[in-house]
Amino acid sequence: MKIIVAIKQVPDRDAPIRIAAAGKWIEESGLQFSMNEPDAYALEEALRLKEAHGGEVIVLSAGPERVGTTLREALAKGADRAIHVTADDLGERDALGVARLLSEAIKPESPDLILTGLQSEDLGLGQTGVILAELLNLPHASLILHVEKTDAGLKVKRELESGWFQEIELPTPAVLTIQSGGNKLRYATLMGIKRAKTKETRVLNAAELAPVAPPTAVLEKIALPTKQRSTQILPGTPKEAAAALVEKLRFEVRVL
Amino acid sequence: MSRILVIEEARIDGNHRFFHETLAAGRILSELTGLPAELAAIGDPNENVFMHFSGPVAATAYAIQHPLLVSYTSDGYTLAFEQLIRKLQPAYVVFPHTYQVRDFAPRLATRFGQVLIGDVTAIEAGPLFTRQLLQGKLQANYRHASDGPCFISIQAGAFRADSASGGTTSISTFEPEIDAAQIRTRPGAPFRAGTQTVDLASAPLIVSVGRGIKEAANLPLVEELAQALGAELAASRPICDNGWLPMERQVGSSGQTVAPKLYLAVGISGAIQHLVGMKGSQCIVAINKDPDAPIFEVADYGIVGDLFEVVPALTEAIKAAK
Amino acid sequence: MILPHATLAEPPHFSVLERVVFAALVIASAVSFWQRFGPIVRKILQSKKDPGFRLAPIGRRVWDFFSEVLLQSKVIAQRPLPGLAHAFVFWSFLGFALVTLNHCAVGLGIGFLNPESQGLSGLFSRLYFYLAAVFALLCAVSITGLFVRRFFVRPVWLGKKVSIESGYIAFLIFALMATYLAAFFTTDASPAARILWWIHTLALVVFLPLIPHTKHLHLVLSPATIFLSREKFSDIPPLANDEDFGLVAGQDLTQIVSLQAYSCVECGRCTEHCPAASTGKALNPKDVILGLRSYLNEIGPATEEPLLGKHNSQEAIFQCTTCGACEFQCPVGIEHLPIIVGLRRGAVNTGAWEDERGAKLFNQLERGSNALGMSSAERDKFIQKESLPIFDGTQEYCLWLGCMGAYDPKGREIVAAFARIMQHLGTSYGVMSKEKCTGDPVRRLGNDLVFQQLAEANLEILAQNKVKKIVTVCPHCVRTIQEDWKAYGTPPEVEHHTEFLARHITQLPAVKTKESIVYHDPCYLGRYRDVYDEPRQLVQITGKLVEAERNRERSFCCGAGGGLAFLGEESGERVSHARAQELTATGAKTIATACPFCNSMFRDAVGEPNGLSAAPKVLDIAQLIDSHLGEPTLRLYTRKSDEDHRSH
Repeated sequence: MKIIVAIKQVPDRDAPIRIAAAGKWIEESGLQFSMNEPDAYALEEALRLKEAHGGEVIVLSAGPERVGTTLREALAKGADRAIHVTADDLGERDALGVARLLSEAIKPESPDLILTGLQSEDLGLGQTGVILAELLNLPHASLILHVEKTDAGLKVKRELESGWFQEIELPTPAVLTIQSGGNKLRYATLMGIKRAKTKETRVLNAAELAPVAPPTAVLEKIALPTKQRSTQILPGTPKEAAAALVEKLRFEVRVL
Repeated sequence: MSRILVIEEARIDGNHRFFHETLAAGRILSELTGLPAELAAIGDPNENVFMHFSGPVAATAYAIQHPLLVSYTSDGYTLAFEQLIRKLQPAYVVFPHTYQVRDFAPRLATRFGQVLIGDVTAIEAGPLFTRQLLQGKLQANYRHASDGPCFISIQAGAFRADSASGGTTSISTFEPEIDAAQIRTRPGAPFRAGTQTVDLASAPLIVSVGRGIKEAANLPLVEELAQALGAELAASRPICDNGWLPMERQVGSSGQTVAPKLYLAVGISGAIQHLVGMKGSQCIVAINKDPDAPIFEVADYGIVGDLFEVVPALTEAIKAAK
Repeated sequence: MILPHATLAEPPHFSVLERVVFAALVIASAVSFWQRFGPIVRKILQSKKDPGFRLAPIGRRVWDFFSEVLLQSKVIAQRPLPGLAHAFVFWSFLGFALVTLNHCAVGLGIGFLNPESQGLSGLFSRLYFYLAAVFALLCAVSITGLFVRRFFVRPVWLGKKVSIESGYIAFLIFALMATYLAAFFTTDASPAARILWWIHTLALVVFLPLIPHTKHLHLVLSPATIFLSREKFSDIPPLANDEDFGLVAGQDLTQIVSLQAYSCVECGRCTEHCPAASTGKALNPKDVILGLRSYLNEIGPATEEPLLGKHNSQEAIFQCTTCGACEFQCPVGIEHLPIIVGLRRGAVNTGAWEDERGAKLFNQLERGSNALGMSSAERDKFIQKESLPIFDGTQEYCLWLGCMGAYDPKGREIVAAFARIMQHLGTSYGVMSKEKCTGDPVRRLGNDLVFQQLAEANLEILAQNKVKKIVTVCPHCVRTIQEDWKAYGTPPEVEHHTEFLARHITQLPAVKTKESIVYHDPCYLGRYRDVYDEPRQLVQITGKLVEAERNRERSFCCGAGGGLAFLGEESGERVSHARAQELTATGAKTIATACPFCNSMFRDAVGEPNGLSAAPKVLDIAQLIDSHLGEPTLRLYTRKSDEDHRSH
């Protein structure tokens, strides 16, 4: 099975957030970046499929030069080769624009399966995989926890809401977006890093793959949320405090 | 381009509130743009898809019905909505941001050369759509900049589902043209994970008990609270060490890592070994008699008091509220 | 006093036949010895060269040899009675070298010690023989004692398998001594003397070939092992090259590791003191070493056969808390930690170790800043709440928080207490606005990739901020910064807060309450750093110091080290519970700790939910002192305090 895993590099979850002068994105200087965690689960699923059925795992990422470190990490974990779509202007492309870039990079490879994480930790759109399927005219399934290869194609376990699941059968080639937590992530090893040095990374230029089209959804401005998390102590007698808490659970937390 | 189409979903768990929230978002958009809000939903041809939803809700509603739409498939739903949207030409299409919508709406938007503005938490004049970035650390305002329809999906709980305005609803049926060959995926029937083992990791609500409970004989107190809330019962290490609760219910560095919507910590002081197992919870409530207990540092809501008084009071209040 | 007329030095006159027989026996014995010993030497020499090994500084090696080999210091100090018995046997052997040489020479008719000869040489010979006799007597008694202990008393750590060879060897040693002593009571030409001479000879020629395939190989190897031991405690060697991932297969065994594997004397001191072995886990440090020896015997070095498998189990290797009791105890210079960590490196650097929590820890430290997986914003909040000054290059000390100090609620209390004391002392300090885990848990678990990332990132931050001196409440941080980071740069000076506080003891409150306080030596402060007295001085200014049964160098681990604090539930009894019971048994009202990990382990272990009120308090030394700040100080060391005053 030839599998392409689309991976995004995102700011570290721990990164200090400062809004850039233009007010449209955060200040990226001094930030550390790492592999989007849901994509790490997609990579894990791909590696497990390869280990079980043979084939090739290709990792694909679009972004500036720094993305190379994330691709190397994926190679170190066991991917066979990498494709880096170099682009410094990703911010000017919306989800559709980015998916177009990726689909153009994928087409010549004609993979059997395309995997990506359910969503990114920065923009949290959760659309790239589904849009890719549409652009490549392939069937897809999202929120996948488990992938099984069958004679006809794939049988996948999809997460529904409230503790429900569903099995879906679909033919290949197909696109799946992988839900975090279905597998346990492997860790990068020193041996993997050394081996990765000899693996191929193909560099494609974004401008040549697909020109920037005006986005249909424009990010106007960003702001820090007004309400910071802080502890609210509910005072009063046990009865009063309990009543106050029930109010909170009902209207703020919305679990009642 | 003369209307707002609010798409509803017959949800598996029958969450009617989200229906009204989506409609409320449609109404806000309607007020901002002056366009009427209309409803659409897909359902079984043999039943009224809107019958699950109580009360008169909008002037016009479209029931999309087709034998191939009985079970959800992304291909089927995308085709059906594509045809309805091409017919009605709405300026805005408003979805609830459910797992199902996330599965097909981006595909649908792509067919119109659009991008879904997903998980919207607020709509302001412009209209500007607010959504969260970086896992809630930032909020961003998006504006639609295209001639095509604007697709948005709204976050559960972000809009207040206040009582619907009066009026009657006229329901018209829309039957899309779908060929079985166009549906490429074969969905199986939904199922629940086996219930024999405790799965704290995916539990949405957890009541967790610690040393403050003092004796095994006092456990029914928190068990009752968990039952009233419909929550799973968990514990900190000392409780499981003593065999008062099975090890599989232990939360913390040597037990389970959980991330529920609500984590109610009763009599737990909050040692780091415990904190690392539950810090990902969306909302943490702590009940502890020690006001300096470290658990209060991570809690969203805290009650400083004797758990033997607070917990029964809380159980009663929850029962009354339900 | 009986002055024996005859000694073995003046044997009967041998016939040519006897001389030939004797020579043949000696040659057969030597050949037989070499047949068994030769392959061992070859296996050691065929092993990989030790990367980073230097013979210098030679002075330390000579001293270690003198103290540990010649004086038997460690053997005696750690097990006085059997240790002394062993020392007598050893010293007798040394003394007997000359006697034995002469014995053989006599057999060939060229004896050189003759007590009957005139002048100096006769005097020397006589004196020497009597001295040897004293040792022979002590040795005979000692070996009998050791025999009784090994075969009848049998301490558990000697293991279940009784080695019959030990019995033979004991018998042979006894025979050697007995025949030597008996000869004093014979006359030169008597048949009895001749018979004794031959028994002595037979014992010698049988003894020699037994050495290589029994634990008595240590007779030959351990002096070399001790002389060649690595420079420092738990000295983890650098990786040699791009293809070195630690101890993966036979080809990764270094000469020192192979030498150590063959040196094990199976005394079981490592097992006796091992927290894993004594709480029912699979790990037994002695078996780790003997496993390597079997591997070398069956498979040999320079092969690609994995080291973990038949001869050593991965499960056991990852149960080690790296407390270092085994390495500290070992009387023959075996360094268990570089071996155990080396085997872990082999498993982790190649991805062979699959462990859910381990993988989570590695991923967390690769992406985030701390081993607890907390958001660094939580650290910022703590710094803000306690108004800790940020290090800006003007302060004297960088107060390193560590993961526990920055995120653990109790660890934070320790940091806050220590910060207040520094304030009280007028010492200028600041905390880093950014700080990553020092890499201690990944270093001990053998993840070189993540360790390097963390060490380099931290070294860079510290260099940028021009940090010269670090003080921290965590002994794991101290050790890792000072020793382990060296592989990637030059770390600033670092010390533990108890060392810092002990230097300022005269300015600290001396209340000396009657309250009894038991001090627990953290492994990484004690055995790893040799700091035993400073924390005790500090405990003594706040209360009455009591000692646990095992203390100082023999302190028993809390169970958190070696990355185990992050690996989830242990099998068997909990190490922390075993130690907490020992500490509680002293009756002390307070357990004083000097490590936030120990502190956290004991907090969980001392108090069962219903026995909480009776359980002792667990407090760091900084907290003990902080609670008395403002009370009068005791000027114990006036001279030192003057110096201190001048510096502030």
